[in-house]
Amino acid sequence: MALRFRQEPDRLVAEVSGEIDHHSAAELKERIAREYSRGTAKDLELNFSQVTFMDSSGVGMVIGRFKDTQTRGGNMAVSGLSGDIKRLFELSGLHKIIQVK
Amino acid sequence: MAKHNFLANEVLVQMDARSQNEGFARLCASAFIAPLNPTVSELTEVKTAVSEAVTNAILHGYEGREHTAPKVTMRMSLQDYTVTICIKDEGTGIRDVPLARTPLFTTRPDDERSGMGFTVMESFMDSVEVLSAEGQGTEVVMRKRFSNGQDSAAN
Repeated sequence: MALRFRQEPDRLVAEVSGEIDHHSAAELKERIAREYSRGTAKDLELNFSQVTFMDSSGVGMVIGRFKDTQTRGGNMAVSGLSGDIKRLFELSGLHKIIQVK
Repeated sequence: MAKHNFLANEVLVQMDARSQNEGFARLCASAFIAPLNPTVSELTEVKTAVSEAVTNAILHGYEGREHTAPKVTMRMSLQDYTVTICIKDEGTGIRDVPLARTPLFTTRPDDERSGMGFTVMESFMDSVEVLSAEGQGTEVVMRKRFSNGQDSAAN
């Protein structure tokens, strides 16, 4: 798992690559949450276009970041979802509360 | 002799209940089903279901018992284009299996767990059985039939 951040006007974009499972989700959570709390941007976008695998641990991690943005009054979006990851989002109902780009 | 017996196979993998073995278990499952020429979707479905079951075993099965050097076993068998995967732990067990299988139910909401593990297994595999006894452990038995079997049976 690797992570790259891009700071846009009032929005933090986190580009994730590799596999998201229970093993990698903890580190992912910590690094994204830290970067978000360090900056002042309200909105957060997670880009999954380079993610090769994700299970429900990723869903939990996304819900966690969604809560972070809610606390700050910002919006959360996810982008670059493969068909399989989109299916996980739909199964858990996440697509109804989080903007999918 | 059945038509597809040339594919019959069984393997047993025992691993430490450590999170780095989640990826290892997925790779084992991918390798095991490779002879079935799975579609990309089928492959992802099996990998995801295995990931969920192994994560449950590690995270919930052995909570607070790490000092006992716990193990997770994965038994995979293949018969007539149907794969059976059993993921077993000898951990704490599940008190209420139907409740644990309920979508979004989790005992660990503070830990950013989605509570979607069993739901994912159920929707990505053809069948999921959960055998569990408190204090004795949990065994998840998942089955999936591969589409290639249908196609080649016609040849």
